[in-house]
Amino acid sequence: MSPNILLLVLLALGALGWFAGRAKARALYTGKGSLHSLPSHHGWHLALWILVPALAGWLIWSAVEPGLVHTAIMASPAAASLPAMDMERDAILSEAFQLASDPSAAAFNPAAEGLVEPIRAATMKFSLIGAALLALLAFAGGGFGYTRIKADFPARTRVERAVMAALLAASLMAILTTIGIIASLVFETGLFFSHVSPLDFLTGLHWSPQDGSGPEVSKTYGAVPLFWGTIFIGAIIAMIVAIPLGLMSAIFLTQYASARVRTWMKPMLEILAGIPTVVYGYFAALTVAPMVRDLAEKLGMENPSTESALAAGLVMGIMIIPFVSSMADDSIAAVPSAMRDGSLAMGATKSETIKKVLVPAALPGIVAGVMLAISRAIGETMIVVMAAGAAANLSANPFASMTTVTYQIVQLLTGDQEFDSAKTLSAFALGLVLFVVTLVLNIIALRVVKRFREAYE
Amino acid sequence: MSNPPSVWQSPAMAARLKGRYAAERRFRALGFAAIALSLAFLAFLLVTMLANGIGGIDWAFLTGSDSTEAANAGIWGAFKGSLLTMGVTLALSFPMGVLAAVYLEEFAPRSRWVDWVEVSINNLAAVPSIIFGLLGLAVFINFMGMPRSAPLVGGMTLALMTMPVIVIAGRNAIKAVPPSIRDAALAVGASPVQAVFHHVLPLALPGILTGTIIGMARALGETAPLLMIGMRAFVSTPPGSITDPSSVLPMQIFLWSDEVDSAFVQNTSAAILVLLAFLITMNGIAIYLRNKFETRW
Repeated sequence: MSPNILLLVLLALGALGWFAGRAKARALYTGKGSLHSLPSHHGWHLALWILVPALAGWLIWSAVEPGLVHTAIMASPAAASLPAMDMERDAILSEAFQLASDPSAAAFNPAAEGLVEPIRAATMKFSLIGAALLALLAFAGGGFGYTRIKADFPARTRVERAVMAALLAASLMAILTTIGIIASLVFETGLFFSHVSPLDFLTGLHWSPQDGSGPEVSKTYGAVPLFWGTIFIGAIIAMIVAIPLGLMSAIFLTQYASARVRTWMKPMLEILAGIPTVVYGYFAALTVAPMVRDLAEKLGMENPSTESALAAGLVMGIMIIPFVSSMADDSIAAVPSAMRDGSLAMGATKSETIKKVLVPAALPGIVAGVMLAISRAIGETMIVVMAAGAAANLSANPFASMTTVTYQIVQLLTGDQEFDSAKTLSAFALGLVLFVVTLVLNIIALRVVKRFREAYE
Repeated sequence: MSNPPSVWQSPAMAARLKGRYAAERRFRALGFAAIALSLAFLAFLLVTMLANGIGGIDWAFLTGSDSTEAANAGIWGAFKGSLLTMGVTLALSFPMGVLAAVYLEEFAPRSRWVDWVEVSINNLAAVPSIIFGLLGLAVFINFMGMPRSAPLVGGMTLALMTMPVIVIAGRNAIKAVPPSIRDAALAVGASPVQAVFHHVLPLALPGILTGTIIGMARALGETAPLLMIGMRAFVSTPPGSITDPSSVLPMQIFLWSDEVDSAFVQNTSAAILVLLAFLITMNGIAIYLRNKFETRW
């Protein structure tokens, strides 16, 4: 039986239990105060008793079932002729499984055909056993729950305890995700460092994971050019674009623009933040990169490449503008108006007030905003994948093709490689570096913002 | 003793004032130029996409699937993949996000590890999306052995990314419901759970939905994490279920942008227009919900 139908049947049983429980509790009602809990609470209590054991059983069963099916097939006479090598046997088996579920598929290996029947029989048998097990659990749970419905039974307390457990589980998910990220990155990075020494990885100047083999492999994983490319594109070029434009936009919107202009321009600026990065990447590759190349040619460069750090950095900077702008907006708004009024009352013009009073007072917040913007820019992937290039260059020439950490992660993990080579593992090491750097930037920035807010409150 | 003429009338002062006013005007113009430049870029981007892509949108494009021929290629396959992926994302991240927000805002005791939950939610909201892709690859595909390229895995990965957004929006919405509502419910005998689920949550729902739509719009445009879990396969038939190999709209854009054949430029731009139309609609709905249902207490 397919899992979807099974799930639907279970849910229907649960709903039935809800009505049955409520009906029984209602029958017990003899007058005001005769029931401890509302009939609907008794309904929920019964429904939970039906669903929770059955679903738990289903989860366990679906983890165990494939193994049981596998043993049953291996015990069948048709499997006796299978090769002893694990790899070959698994290949034939997976083909036979495909045949069993889809008769129109063509068999590649004749040995697979003989296995189809045993597989069908075994899957059928075990899915019937599984369904019977589920039914048993659902009815046992339901029966037990049904007998507990009494006038003085505290169904509400029990149901609310279950609700609290669900709430707790949901909020645990956030911690689980964080642990999952750290554990998987650290684990794979550990495997990588058994091939390549961490020192070579963090300080080496040569990055060419394709041609490393043997004892020399450590020398081809020097990630410094990637770090430099990431910083140059994300933290230098993009910020040269984003900081002045974002800051000046925020100043204009908060200090000069009339309310009407602001209600129109602010959402328009926010559209820039909502455009998917793949669209920016395409725009960078299609329109901005050729312009940058033409510019490089005019400046007298020979054979400038289409992929340049400048094109990627420019577009990334524009993507970040709304982000910088809204952070600057918040920090300027947090400066007490008494400081601004005092400056204006002394005869300073508006621009002098902004330059000498508002911006210096808001500076910690603005710097924190810039740090968050940098952390966002260096983690940005699609723009650099589509516009920055693959060559690991250690140069300060913005027209050169340059690669970044995120680009290399994508490059190393797309394509069909075995999963335990140094090449694929290095992507996780790069991911760990990226994660740690963005985490540190975020934590510092949030601290600064918090302290800054407290200073004025 | 005669007073010198007031400094306010001296020619030097007049010149200085003039300079200061000019600086004032320059600064103002600079601010205007900054925002005008940003918006001009937006207009430039939209106009480029419109000029390249508007001719490519027709019925065959909207109902076809990916093909090696630019003229036959359409976006229905990728669009259906996006729908399935978003369905999985919503089904997972919305209940979990809302429940976590309710717990943290209404029931969580002030303890060390509740602080840890809060710190990790705030940090997850700022983790680069590609890291979630690495997580999905390592945990869902390699560790749990789920199928590659499937909307199920893509949706689960994006759900982990969207959940913090929903939690943060949900907490703010719940925080905005005044305590008098809870007190009134508790005073007539409701249990804390009843007070929250019958009274606080319905009032916070518009705010939660706004946050959810914004989070979903971000997930819809996301490409990098899906690249990690292998959703870049060439898929010429629309996926039938959440475990079939599939593509998604932004991934289709990425794949087409890589094609050498320049005929794909029109397809790519047309697909971008469709994607942008969806995102703008979703954000429009979010703004509408916020304006229509948000109560100022």
